[in-house]
Amino acid sequence: MQIDFSIIDFMLVGPAVALFFFSCVPLLIKVLRGNVEQNSFATLIYAYMGIVVAAGFAISMLGTERTAFDGALVFDGISSFTTLIVLLVTGVALTFSRDSFSTNSRQFTEAMFLTMNAAVGMLTVVWSNDLIITFVGIELFSLCLYILIAMSLEERLSKEAAFKYFILGSFASALMLYGISFIYGTVGSTYLPDLLQATPSLLATNRLFLLGFILLLTGVAFKIAVFPFHSWAPDVYQGAPTPLTAFMATGVKAVTLAFLLRLVASQAFTVERFWPFVDVLQWLTVMTILVGNIGAFRQKSLKRMLAYSSIAHSGYIMIGIIAAGIGGASMLGASGVMFYILSYSIMTIGAFGVLHLLESRADSDLTVEDLKGLASEKPWIALAMTILLLSLTGIPPTVGFFGKFFIFSAAIKQGLTWLAVWGVVGSVISVYYYLRPVVAMYMETPVLRRDTLGLRPLSYFAISFMALLVLLVGLAAEPFYQVVLTSVAKVF
Amino acid sequence: MLLSLLIFLPLFFAFVVAILPEKAIRPASLAMSLFHFLLACVLFYRFDPHKATLQLVERAPWVPTFGISYFVGIDGISFWLVLLSAFLTPLVVLGSWTAIHKSIRAFHICLFLLLTSTIGTFVAMDAILFYVFFETSLIPMYFMVGVWGGTRRLYATTKFFIYTMAGSLFMLVAIVALIFMTQDQLGEMSASLLDFYKLQIPFVANSFMNTQTLLFFAFSLAFAIKVPMFPVHTWLPDAHVEAPTPGSVILAAVMLKMGTYGFMRFVLPMFPAATEYWAWLFMLLGVVGIIYGALVAMVQPDVKKLVAYSSVSHMGYVMLGLFALNVYGSTGGLYQMLNHGVSTGALFLLVGMIYEKTHSRQISDYGGLARVAPIYTIAFLIVTFSSIAVPLTNGFVGEFLILLGSFQANRVFTLFAVLGVILGAVYMLWAVKRVFFGGDGKLVTEHAGEDLDIGAREMIVLAPFVILIFWMGLFPNDFLNWSKASVNNLIENRTHYELTIEE
Repeated sequence: MQIDFSIIDFMLVGPAVALFFFSCVPLLIKVLRGNVEQNSFATLIYAYMGIVVAAGFAISMLGTERTAFDGALVFDGISSFTTLIVLLVTGVALTFSRDSFSTNSRQFTEAMFLTMNAAVGMLTVVWSNDLIITFVGIELFSLCLYILIAMSLEERLSKEAAFKYFILGSFASALMLYGISFIYGTVGSTYLPDLLQATPSLLATNRLFLLGFILLLTGVAFKIAVFPFHSWAPDVYQGAPTPLTAFMATGVKAVTLAFLLRLVASQAFTVERFWPFVDVLQWLTVMTILVGNIGAFRQKSLKRMLAYSSIAHSGYIMIGIIAAGIGGASMLGASGVMFYILSYSIMTIGAFGVLHLLESRADSDLTVEDLKGLASEKPWIALAMTILLLSLTGIPPTVGFFGKFFIFSAAIKQGLTWLAVWGVVGSVISVYYYLRPVVAMYMETPVLRRDTLGLRPLSYFAISFMALLVLLVGLAAEPFYQVVLTSVAKVF
Repeated sequence: MLLSLLIFLPLFFAFVVAILPEKAIRPASLAMSLFHFLLACVLFYRFDPHKATLQLVERAPWVPTFGISYFVGIDGISFWLVLLSAFLTPLVVLGSWTAIHKSIRAFHICLFLLLTSTIGTFVAMDAILFYVFFETSLIPMYFMVGVWGGTRRLYATTKFFIYTMAGSLFMLVAIVALIFMTQDQLGEMSASLLDFYKLQIPFVANSFMNTQTLLFFAFSLAFAIKVPMFPVHTWLPDAHVEAPTPGSVILAAVMLKMGTYGFMRFVLPMFPAATEYWAWLFMLLGVVGIIYGALVAMVQPDVKKLVAYSSVSHMGYVMLGLFALNVYGSTGGLYQMLNHGVSTGALFLLVGMIYEKTHSRQISDYGGLARVAPIYTIAFLIVTFSSIAVPLTNGFVGEFLILLGSFQANRVFTLFAVLGVILGAVYMLWAVKRVFFGGDGKLVTEHAGEDLDIGAREMIVLAPFVILIFWMGLFPNDFLNWSKASVNNLIENRTHYELTIEE
C-alpha cells in the first residue's frame, strides 16, 4: 500500500490537532510548576484559543469535498457542519465547567484536557470514513467522559453515574464492535463507502451481515438513548456535573446521529428483507417519544426532567432518520435531522447552562421548587430560560419550532404521517413539563431565600447567547436550512 | 406598509415600555395604543369595501424552500377583527389603570405582544405565518392569566395553554400536508392560502379516513378549541374566571375570534365538500353549546363565571351561523363575532370595575346595587340588553341574521337555538335582578358609606362600548357594508373559492 499524505490532509484534521495541542499546554504548565494548579481563567483562555484555531481550520475547509489519509477520513458537508456544532458546544461547556462548583477544582486543568480530548474523539467520529476509526473515536470521547463524570466534586450521585455510564457504555461498545466484526467478516472491509455499496445486496442475502448491521445499530441506539436502551440516560445526566451533562447531551448525541445518518445513507432501509426491522424501528421511535415525555412528566429534579426530554428529542430525530432512510425524498429527512441536531444542541446546552448557573453547591440538584420566584430576582436568567424552554416545546418563532417543522414535514412527505402524529402527541405532553419551570419562575412567590449566587459573567453571557441564537436561527431559518441542505446533498 | 406597521408597531411599543420609567408606563401605553388605533383607522381610507379581493398586500419570502413567505393582506372578513383588536387595547389599558398592581411594566409588555400576535393572526395570508402568530398569542395570554390572575390561576393557565397547543399542533401537521399537496398539484411548494384555495383535495362521503375529511377535522379541532365549541370548551371558564379583567376582555373579545375567523378563512373555503357533509355536526354542536352554555350560566354563583359560560353560548350562535353556509348565516356569524367582542368585553370590564371596589364576585353577596350605583347599573343594563339581543342593540342584529340563515339550512336546530335566546334572557336578567335590585345585600351594607358608583375614567372606558352597541344595533349597514363583498364571495363561490390580490 502506497502511503502518501499531502499537506492538505493535515490541514483538514487541523481542528483536532489544534484542540489536542492547546489542551496539552495548561497541563504542561502545571507539570512544570510542580503540580500547582494555575488560575482557572488562564486555562480557559488556552481552551478558547484551541477552539478558535480549530474553528478557523473548520471554517476554512467549509465546502471542501474530499477524503484524507487514504480515504480513512471524509470531509464533506455533514462533517464540517457537525464539526462546528461540536466546537460550539465544547466552548460553551468549558465555560460552564470553569464556573461550576462541581468541576472547577484543583483539577480544572485535567478536566479541561479531558473535555478537549473528548471533543477530539467526537470530531474523529464525525470525520470517520471507516468503522474502526469510528469506534476509536467513540471510545476516545467515552473514556474521557467516564473520567470527567467521576472527577466531579459531588460525592454521591456522580460516582454512581460514572460507573453506570462506564458499564453500559462498554456494553454498547462491545455490541458495536461485535457488529463490526460480523460486517468485516462478510464485506471484507470496514471502509464505509465499500460497506454502503455492499449493504443493499448483502442485507438481502446474508444473515450474518444482517445480524452485524443490527448490532451496530443497537450500539448507536444506546449512545443516543433510544428506547429500550435509554434507561442509563436519566441517571447519568443527573449524576454528572451539569456542565458535563450539557456537553454529553449535545456533543455525543450530535456526532452519533451524524454517524447514524451516514449509515442510513446506505439505503439499508429500502431493502425488502430489512422492512420488518424498519417497522420495529418505527415502533421504537414512538416508544422513545412516549417514554421520554411521560418520564419527564413525572420528574422532580430538573436535570432528570431535561434528561428524559432529551430522550424524547432523540425520538423526534429518529423520525427524521427513518424518513431519510426509506428512500424517495430522503434529502428532506436528512436535512431535517441535521437542522434538528443544531437546534437541539443550542437549546439543550442553554437549558442545562441555566441550571448550572443556579446551582450553589457541587451537589445541588435543582427541583422546580427551587425556581420559584426567580423572575423577580434574576429576570434575565428567567427570560433566557423561558425562551429556551419554549423552544424545546416547539413554540414559534423559535428554532425548536422549525426543527420540528422540518422533521415532521419530512415524515409527512415520506408517508410517515402516523409518526408525525405521534411526535405531535409527544409535543403536547411536553408542554406541561416545559411550562412548569416557567410557571414557577414567573407565577409563584419565592418560598426560601436562595443562596446569593456569585457573579459568573461568562456563563451568563453564554446562556444569553444561546437564548439569542434560539430566536435568531428561528427567525432566519432559511439561510441555516440552506447550509444544511447543501451539507447533506452529497451524501443523500 | 400599513399592515406591517399595525403588526410590528406594538412590538416596538413593548420595547419602549421595557425601558420607560415606572411612572410613565401607563400614560405612555395609553398614548401609544391610541396612536395604534388611529393608525388602524387609516384602514377606512385605504380599504375598498366594494371589492372582494385581498388588499394592502405585502409579500416577502421567508423560508422559500418550503414556499413559506411573509404574506399579509386584508379583506372584508378580517377588516373588522383587526379594528376590534386595535380598538380594545387603549380601552383595556385605561380600564386596568387601577386594577393591576404588580409588575405594571411586564403587564403592558404582554398587552402589546398580544396585540402584535392577534393582528398578525388576522392579516396573515400564509399558513405558517398564521400558525406562528396563532401560537405566539398563547404566550402573553399565558403570562397574563398566570401572573396577574386569581387563586387558581396556575391550573387555569396551564390548562389553557395545553388545550390550545394540542389543537394547533394537529393543524400544523395538516398545514404541512397541504404544503406538499401544493407541490404535487401546482408544481411549486407554497404555504400561501391563495394557493391552498386552488387545491383539489380528494373527498369521499360516508368515510372518515380520506384526505379532505382528515384535514378538515385537523383544522376544525384547532379552531373549535379556540372558539371554544361545546365538548372542548372546558378551558374557557377556568381561564376567564382566573384571568385579570384585561386578560378576560382580550381573551373573550379577540382571542376567541381567532377560532371563528379560522373557520371562515381556512375550513369553509378550503374543504368545501367536507364542510358541506359535516355541517350538521357543527350546527348540532353549536346548538348544544348555546343551550348548555345558557343552562350552566344560569346556575353560576360567580358573576364572572356566568359571563364566561355566556361566551360559550354566544360563540355557539356564531358557529351555527357559519355552518348554515348561506349569506345570512355567515354575515350574522361575522357580525356576532364583533357583537360578542363588544358586549362580553364590556361585561368583563363592568364585572372588574365592581370587583375592584367590593372584592367579591358572588352574586349572592350583592343586591340593591342599583340604589347606590345608578350609573353603573345603567351601563350594566345596556350591555346586558346587547348580550341578550334586545332589538335596537347590536346583539339583536347578529342573532337575527344567524337565525335567519340557520332557518334556511335546518329548521330543527333553529328551533332549539331560539330556545337558547330565551334562556339567555333568563340567566342574564335573573343575575341582574339579584345583583342590582331587591333588598340591600351583604356588600351594599358593608360598604355603606363608600361610593360604589363608577367614576369619570370608568365612564370614558364604557362610553365607546355603549355607543357601539347602539350604533351597531341601529345602523348595521355602516358595518356590514365593509365586509359584504368578501362574505358574499366566500359563500357564493365556496366550492371553487378564489381570492385574488388587489393590485
